[in-house]
Order: sequence, then C-alpha cells, then structure tokens
Amino acid sequence: MTERWDRARVLALAADASSLRAAQPLASGRSWAVTGAADESADESADEGADEGALWGECLGSAATPYRTVVDLSGPAYRCSCPSRKFPCKHALALMLLWSDGAVGTNGDPPDWAASWLAGRTAKSADPKDVKPPTDPAAALRRAEQREARVASGLTELDRWLCDQVRQGLAVSQRSGYRHWDDIAARMVDAQAPGLAERLRALAAVPYSGSGWDGRLLEEYALLRLLAAAGRDQGALPPPLRDTVRSRIGFTVRQADVLASATPVRDHWHVLARRDLDQDRIRTRRVWLRGRRTGRTALVLSFAALGQSLDDSLAVGTATDADLAFYPAAVPLRALVAARHDTVPGGPPAGTTAAGLLAGYAAALGQDPWLDTWPAVLEATPARAPVPGLYDTAGDALPLHPGAGECWPLFALSGGHPLTVAGEWTPRGLWPLTAWDEGGRVVPL
Amino acid sequence: MSTWHDLVTASLIGTERSVVPAPAIPGLPATEDGTGDPAAVLLDRAALLTAARRAGRRPDRAEPLPVCEPDPRPAVSPAASRRLARMLADADAALLIEWLTAVVARGLRPAAQHLPALLDQARRLRSKHAALADLVAQAGGPRARWLAGLNPDWGFMAAPTLPGDDAWRLGSRGQRRAYLAALAAKDPDAALDLVKNGWAAADPADRIMLLSVLADGLGPAAEPLLEAVLDDPAVHARTCAADLLARQPGSALGQRMAERALRCVRLERSARGPHLVITPPADCDASMRRDGITPGPAAGSAPIPEQARLLREVVARTPPRTWTDSFGLTAAQVVALRSGTWTPVLFTGWARAAIAQRDHDWTAALIGHALAGRLPGTAAEIQALGQLARRADPVRGVPDTLPELWPDAPPVVGAALGVLRFRYDMLKELDHDHSG
Repeated sequence: MTERWDRARVLALAADASSLRAAQPLASGRSWAVTGAADESADESADEGADEGALWGECLGSAATPYRTVVDLSGPAYRCSCPSRKFPCKHALALMLLWSDGAVGTNGDPPDWAASWLAGRTAKSADPKDVKPPTDPAAALRRAEQREARVASGLTELDRWLCDQVRQGLAVSQRSGYRHWDDIAARMVDAQAPGLAERLRALAAVPYSGSGWDGRLLEEYALLRLLAAAGRDQGALPPPLRDTVRSRIGFTVRQADVLASATPVRDHWHVLARRDLDQDRIRTRRVWLRGRRTGRTALVLSFAALGQSLDDSLAVGTATDADLAFYPAAVPLRALVAARHDTVPGGPPAGTTAAGLLAGYAAALGQDPWLDTWPAVLEATPARAPVPGLYDTAGDALPLHPGAGECWPLFALSGGHPLTVAGEWTPRGLWPLTAWDEGGRVVPL
Repeated sequence: MSTWHDLVTASLIGTERSVVPAPAIPGLPATEDGTGDPAAVLLDRAALLTAARRAGRRPDRAEPLPVCEPDPRPAVSPAASRRLARMLADADAALLIEWLTAVVARGLRPAAQHLPALLDQARRLRSKHAALADLVAQAGGPRARWLAGLNPDWGFMAAPTLPGDDAWRLGSRGQRRAYLAALAAKDPDAALDLVKNGWAAADPADRIMLLSVLADGLGPAAEPLLEAVLDDPAVHARTCAADLLARQPGSALGQRMAERALRCVRLERSARGPHLVITPPADCDASMRRDGITPGPAAGSAPIPEQARLLREVVARTPPRTWTDSFGLTAAQVVALRSGTWTPVLFTGWARAAIAQRDHDWTAALIGHALAGRLPGTAAEIQALGQLARRADPVRGVPDTLPELWPDAPPVVGAALGVLRFRYDMLKELDHDHSG
C-alpha cells in the first residue's frame, strides 16, 4: 500500500505561495463532489518503497461543471481540467492535502476520465526516455493563449478601476473599508493575475497606516496603473523588463526552467538577513544573500503553510559557497540555490553609507520602478531623534520603518557606537533585520 | 509651482471636483500636455513623480545619542545567551533571578541585545519580584542604565535614592525596604528599633515587608520581635511571623513544632524492619494556632482529611534535622521508611520543610526518593516535587548522579529531572564562560 505523504511533502510541491494559498480552502471535503485513491502497486515487481498509486477527484469550483483532477503519485504528475498553467494547480494540491489528511478513501478503480490519462502515463513511463508529463502541445498553447487574454482584460479592468478611484477621490476608498480592495483583488484572481491581487489586498491596510496614508495610496495606485499599462504593452518592452512586469502580474516561472535557462552564479554567499511574513495562512520566508566576490545580492524565497516549518538551510550570519540561478528580471534578485558546495566562514559583511544605499536603490529603480524592497547593509549608528533611524560617519541619516517597532535590541547593541546593520530598505524607511555586535557576532533582530 | 502634495490633495478630492496639478520634475522636460481622462493623467504624473521621489531621496539628519560608558565585564557565551532567550520567552522569574545572580557573581554580563527584554520583564514582574529589577540593574550595568535613559517605560531603573532617612519617611514601599535592609546590615539594633517604633502606624502590607526584611537581614536577632508578633491582633502579621520563624533554623517555634512532630511520628523497629507509626494531631489547639497553623481547610488547598492536613502542617514547620537527629538515620533513610497510607502526607510536609529551611541534604534525599521510582502520586506531592527540583542545590543536578529516566516514567518525574538538568547546565555554562 502506498504510504500517505505528510503535509510538508505535499506543500513542497507547490510552485509558489499563491498556489498554496489558493489550495488551502479547497482542501476540505466540502469542496469535492467525488474523491478517490487507487493503489497501483499490485505489480509485485514494483520497486520497494517506490510511490505508486493515483488520486482523483471532482472539485466544485466557480465553473458550471466541476474540475476533474488526477494525480499520478509515481511522478508525481498532474492533470486537471481547470485553466491553470501551474503544475500542480491548486486543485491537485488540495486533493493531495486532503489525501495527506486521510480524507480520501481507497476505492479501487478510477473513473474512466481518470483511468484513460493514467493508462497513457503508464504506457509512457515504460519508455525511459520520456519522463515528462504528457502534454498536448496544442492544448497547452490554447490554455496559454486563454490566460493571456484573461490577464489582458483583467489589466484593462484594473486600469478602469484605478481611474475611477482617482475620479471619485481617495477619501471615498478610505470610507469603504477592506471589502473595497478585496473585491477588485478577487477579480484579479479570476483574471489569473495573482500578483496584482496580492498587491491590491495589501492596499487595504494603507488607509490605517497613519499620517501620509493618502500619499502612499496614490503612489500604489499610480504604480499599479503603470504596471497595467506595461502589461498590456509588454511586446514593446525589452525582455528583462517584460519578465519583471510578467512576474509582478503573477506569471510564474517554473523552478526547472530557471535552473535550465539561467547561467549559475558561483560565489561565497553571505546570508545577510531573513524575514518571515504571515499572510492568509501562508508563511513566506525571504532570505537575503550577498556574494562576496561578485557583490551581487540575491533573494531566496520559501513558503510553508502556517504551523509548518520553513526552510532553515540558510542561517543568518553564515556563508555558503554555492551556485545561484537567478530568475529573469530587469533587476535580478530572486534566485534559487542550484548547487551548494561548502560552508565558508561568515563574519560581518562590509557595510555602505546612507548615500551609497540610496544611490544603489536609485539605480535599481531605473530598471524596475516597482521595486519597493531593496537589500541594505549599513555601517551606522542608531539615533532616536527626530525619528528612530541610523546615521553614518558623514552624518547622513535614514529613518527606520515605522512598522518595525522600537527596535530596542538594535539600540542596546550599539550603546551609541556604530555597528553593521542589514535589513530591507523601503520607501518608508529601513526595516532592520540583522546586526553584528562589537565582537563581530551576528544578532538577528 | 505645484508639488507632490498638490497631486495627493487632488487625488483625495477626486478629479471630478479638482484640477490635475502639473508638478515639474527637475531634470525632466515638462510633462505632456495632459489631454485625456484627468484621472489617468493624474495617475501617470503621480507614477513619474513617485519613481523620481524614491530615486531622488536625500538622507536626513539625526541627533546623535550620548555614548554609553564601557562595561569591562565580558558577555556570557552564545550558549548562555540562547538559554537566556528561552528563559525570557517563558517569563520564568525564579529561573531568571537564579541565572542573573550567577551571572553577577561570576563578573559577567548578559549580551546587550537581551537587555531590552530583561528590562521589560523586570518592569512587568517588579511588584511580585522586587529582586529581579535590582539584579537586572546590576547585571545590565552601564548599558542597562543608558537604555533606561532612552525609554520612559524603564524609568524604574533610574529611581533616585533619597538622601538620609527621607527614603524611610517619604519613600515608596520598595525604597523603604531598601533603606531598612541597608540599615539592618549596618546597625541591626537601629533597624529593630525602627520597626518597633513604626509598627503601630504601618499598614498590613508594610508590616509583612518589615518582618521579612528583618528575618532575612537579622536572622536570630529578629526572633524576639517575631515571637512577640505571634500575639499580635492582626492575623496577617501573625501568620507571616510564624512562617518566618518556621524558616529560621534553631528558632523556638521550630523547637515547639519538633516536639509536636515527634509526638505524632514514632520510629518502630519490628521484625520486618524499621517503620513509622503515625498518631496525627487530634485537633488544632491554641498553641498550634499561635504557631501559625490555621484550623479548617485552607482556601484553595486540596480537600484532605483534617487530621492528615494538621500533620502535614506540623511536619512542614519542623526543622528536617529533627528527624535525622532523633532517629539516628540519614535523610535518605528516613525518607525511605515505610509509613503506609501516610507516605504522601509526610513527603509533602518534608518537602516544604526542606525548602523553607534550605536544607540541601533533605532536598536531595526527597528528590532521590521520588526519582528512584517511589513516586509521588497525589497532586500535592507532584507539586512538592516540582518545587524541590527548583530549589535543590543545582550541583545535585550533575547528569551522572541523577537516575536515568525509565521508559514509562510519569511526566512529572521527567519534568523534575528536566528542571534539575536545566539549572545545572545553566550554571555550568556560566562557569565555563568564566574560566574561558
């Protein structure tokens, strides 16, 4: 009998945080009209411990007919009648989560619609050359075109909505509450633009973010309109900028494609800082790396459901000799660890001045105007007035992000002396994440 | 000339009711003519200006802070720091106090990044654990004082000491306590006089504070006063004085309790070996009441038969040496004596007495007995074992002198062993820091 996988193993298959997030509400018996699992290891000669078997189910979505989802656990490989181009799609993820919870009964024979695909896979996997899930190229192209069309009409709708907001006045949005942004975010989900949906959902907090909220909301609306315009006209953009625009809209690049297409960058990568964010029952971990030789900065993301543990392999303050594969972008930051060679000594990284940090951010903004989180390593002294911040030897000061709180440990470490601080620079200020004490020891803040 | 601020104002009102401003961006040609949907024009100008403002941001100025004077003491090791972080998360005042005391005694200091959390805990717990704030101040040294100067929440750290006897006449209860403790150390007779003269005017909480400072600071010299308070009309003060006397080795109250206890518990040697024969007190007479034993079930305590409760209260106030001395046995041998259904009563009573008198032999014997499998079963015993593990001499937590945890050991035994090991490791870690 196939051993049921634990949740962590299922979650690890997700392509990104948004598919995890989308799958969770579907991972309940109420969302499924039919589910089933088959144990196909009847073949005695099957390798011991090999994962065998299949799952299938009919998911009651927003469409008139349920989506039909099949998972071949031996791949694993997935097939679903939904239009998503993600593998696994949220339905397949949800079905596997349900199975992992023990909520899918083993009931022998799959229905015909599942059986035919599974039979096709068995035949193919007999051919060792073909390990890819079978895709009908024409169907895949059709799905891709369909999505482009949906996204394009979503972008038009978003643009119209943004102009409406400014026409009526932002004061109206402020009075209408969270629903206001949830509604347009939901429409962007329908338009298969999850990146836009996420940005819109985050806006609901802006009117409650203290004085200056109106200016911050206008900035976000303006940048969203710029993104919508760029998205509709992406053919005219240089390829790296087009990649940036598409990823911000919510088109994902598969890890395998990144690994296949990017030239890996080998360096001693210093783990500068780490930040975990919880949103909608998904935890996202951002790990910032800095290459000692190349001076390049990289961002490694990992995802987990709330309550599950995140990837701990990159410990702040250490350094790793590794190959990184960067996702294509105008300012390539996000990367995958393609190969890890060795652990090398850590120690405090070299910090820059306030002016140096701002210049670096300005140059990056020239490539990607939507960039609002920029890695920072400063050599500076904390101050309390006029606002909590850090100043360098030139006396140039940068504020701390108001959301980062009082940061007392940072002050305690400094005692009025300069120290090395790593964090995220944002338009609202620096979010400090790591400091190095006078002995050069790393202290996560 | 219009600015970003004008764009924000226009967007707030809405382009239906306002004109779209055209802010200039230095270094860029004037914006396009602005025909078309005014809302779209506004958003496009805002996008351009947003990027320009973000990219063109200039650093601010800041007011430097005073520089903290150096602290020559070395910081504790990273391992000790990690342990402190765990203790801070658990907010366990007793362990924090023990750890900080050991840190101060070894001439070390906590890592600077933990000072804010230590100051917060000291503030939160300072009504119940006055000692914690003092220890944080001592262990934190100049860096803690520097921090307290930046955050009004930690103002308690900077509480000025009042000159002369102003602290006594005008100070808060904490300041009065500090004044009296200092006086007791210098001039015990003056401290006693001060308490006697102030007694009538003191409120009940003050009286308890006065008595405990005297008992801690003076030892036997405070006994006559405490003994006199046993006849005080206020029940609070009476109970407090009786508890303090019971804690004092060699006190007359302890002697009276020992006599009572030996009337209740007799050692008999029979063919089946020595065992204890129990005759519990018949009732709570006037002399027992004077010595702090209250009749009837105490509020909140588990309902047990009255006679068993009275026996436990007597044993709990009896100096543990009474048993070893009069039976001619070691603590471990006494604890192992058979006493039938009275075992749990005696165990809890002995545990309380060993803790009150800080008798490490007895604490170790009781823990050893419980951990050897002759387990406490009742809730009171479990609680007693937990207390013992927290108060035992940590050197007794040396890993190889402790029994191995057997497979189906109840959680309470595992917890007690865990606490002992934790405390042992905690101090060992600091010794290692010190020598290294």
